[in-house]
Amino acid sequence: MMHLLSFALCLAAFAALALATERQQHDLFGGPLSPAATRLLRVAGTGVMLLALGVLLDWQGWGLGLVMFSGHTSLAAGVVFCAAIGLAGARRRGKSAAISPASRRV
Amino acid sequence: MMPRIGPVRRAAPVASRIVAALFGGYALAALGSVAALALPMSKPQAVLTGMLASFAIYAAAVVWVFAARSALRAWAGLLAAAAPLLLAAWSVW
Amino acid sequence: MKTDNVRREREQRPAGRGIRQSMSGLHIWAGLLMGWILYVMYLTGTVSYFKDELSQWMRPELAHQAELPDPALVAQRVADELATIAPGSPQWSMRLPDARTNSVYAFWRLAPGEAGAASGRRSFAEAAFDPATGGKVTARETLGGDFFYRFHFQFHYMPVLWGRWIAGAAAMFMLVAIVSGVITHKKIFIDFFTFRGGKGQRSWFDAHNALSVFGLPFHAMITYTGLVTLMALYMPWGERTAITTQAERQQLTAELNAFIQPGKPSGQAVPLASVADMVRQAQERWGQDAVGRVTATNSGDSTARVAVARGEAGRVSMSPQYMLFDGPTGRLLETREGVGAAAETRGVLYALHLGRFSDAVTRWLYFLVSLMGTAMVGTGLVMWTVKRRQKLADPERPHIGFRIVERLNIASIAGLSVAMTAFLWGNRLLPAGLADRGAWEIHLFFAVWALALAHAVLRPAKTAWIEQLWAATALLALLPVLNAVTTDRPLWHSVAEADWVFAGMDLMCLSLAALHAVLALRTARHRPKPRAVPTKGRGGVIGGALEEGRS
Repeated sequence: MMHLLSFALCLAAFAALALATERQQHDLFGGPLSPAATRLLRVAGTGVMLLALGVLLDWQGWGLGLVMFSGHTSLAAGVVFCAAIGLAGARRRGKSAAISPASRRV
Repeated sequence: MMPRIGPVRRAAPVASRIVAALFGGYALAALGSVAALALPMSKPQAVLTGMLASFAIYAAAVVWVFAARSALRAWAGLLAAAAPLLLAAWSVW
Repeated sequence: MKTDNVRREREQRPAGRGIRQSMSGLHIWAGLLMGWILYVMYLTGTVSYFKDELSQWMRPELAHQAELPDPALVAQRVADELATIAPGSPQWSMRLPDARTNSVYAFWRLAPGEAGAASGRRSFAEAAFDPATGGKVTARETLGGDFFYRFHFQFHYMPVLWGRWIAGAAAMFMLVAIVSGVITHKKIFIDFFTFRGGKGQRSWFDAHNALSVFGLPFHAMITYTGLVTLMALYMPWGERTAITTQAERQQLTAELNAFIQPGKPSGQAVPLASVADMVRQAQERWGQDAVGRVTATNSGDSTARVAVARGEAGRVSMSPQYMLFDGPTGRLLETREGVGAAAETRGVLYALHLGRFSDAVTRWLYFLVSLMGTAMVGTGLVMWTVKRRQKLADPERPHIGFRIVERLNIASIAGLSVAMTAFLWGNRLLPAGLADRGAWEIHLFFAVWALALAHAVLRPAKTAWIEQLWAATALLALLPVLNAVTTDRPLWHSVAEADWVFAGMDLMCLSLAALHAVLALRTARHRPKPRAVPTKGRGGVIGGALEEGRS
């Protein structure tokens, strides 16, 4: 149960951090969010991540806690990454190449 | 373009770096693991400390060898790092 | 050839190359030269996180262990059995059963007079014991999951030390590849989520980056700790300089493991006191399931000693903690619970590599992130050919270096999946009475792998990828069927019995079959483009189809 909670927190944290990047904002919202919203996402993402770390450390102590945190963050980052690609792809197909190439950095 | 230089002359610095990385790096790491014996701790702990740190020394040496501006500098850097380690190792030999 | 390649790489660089270029070159070449070995080490190491479960699956005769037996009673039963089958052994040691094992593994030193010892060839014997009876288990002869485990750091068909040196060299290359990769792509850590998928060569790059960055703590940890597990072999110089006397050697060994060493026996026969009582005392101290191992020296002699060692459950450290008992009386002589700082550091790093302390969820995390590492090495290898294919003068006739890399990629990536699954097929199909059956399972693994290499060389690259991926898919998907036919423990039965080792194995095979099918389909569907024209925007981590297979 604690594992599920920590993983959910990591997932939320990475989702927020991903949404704070220009690339994801372009792909998902079609344009950048306001700087204030971006900053909020970044702070929230970092905060929630630290919360997940706190939960695990409180539960298992430093040794096991850090190992589990590392595992949950790696997996959560991977899931968010795949989801972002999937969503962007679906959106792109839906709009059939409406996004101009200039709007993206390669 | 340096048309006059033959393939051997061009390959030599790279070969020299590879040797420096593979063998020079290992020698430096080995030296480091012996130098650790000079640390103020009991023998078993010093031996283990040297072993644990040696791979970091090796990796750093390899990165240095390929980051250096020339093969000569790469070797010089390894020797410079070896000098204090040698001194420490000498004291416990 | 190595020098040659590096030179070619360097010639392409502008004269005033920066540190990023040199690190990029180092990353590419360190990764490529050991890439195939690293891929194999990564994948066999990854499945070794389920080594005990794999061993259970490979010995289907041993019944599913519904509940954990009392460790104290088991220790006593096996100790009694060892007293019968290995009397006069200077040292024996057993690993007590836990939730993941249904047999007790023990090894013992042969008594000086025994035949094996006399010939000087084998001084140890080993066997698995039934926790319920204490007798040797009668299961098919197999190395079980230990084959992959041992293979991942010492390979096979060669002296163990050679294998370990090769593994060490590969790990060192990996460490250099990680450090140089991080230096080259520092920017990635800032643009953490700016990768995209599904764009030809770019998608490979992104998949490789994502796999590397997300798993970086694990990859760095597993590489360094891998070196630490065998550091006394790789860096013996400090030890050789400082440790000169027998006393010093014992002092050092005591910092590293809980295997007590036998002294000189008196020759006076005294039976061992109750081992169960000793285990109970240890359980009181560390917890019911915390006892990992019981080692005895000169058991049956008046000088006998018994060490009951703490296991790895619930603590991230392998450093020795044990209670030492006097054999004949069962009196507690010493409790050892701490080692020096450096030894403790080593114990923690060692434990991190093995991950035996893990609960089920953490074990899965280990497995999945390690699988990401495997895919990282795999994508890196494939990227080498994808990048270079575009620069080929004549893509229909690539140069020999390119062809070697391309074919070795097929055999070491797709071919390894086929061979590893064939090993499991062999476990079910080889007759039980076959002499050296365990060795034949391994021969089969290598024979199939060699066939995969031959196939990769003889067929066009893309066809070879597709065919081998489908072969792996078929073998994996049919393994649960084979298991159902050849044992009395089919999937429906395991699920009904809540036997998650067998059910998990079947389900895992089916998921891996699906993964290989996806890879095969994507490779088959991929249409070569003349230059990096965007392909359809899909493809996640696995993504972008195995573009490798063109030619």
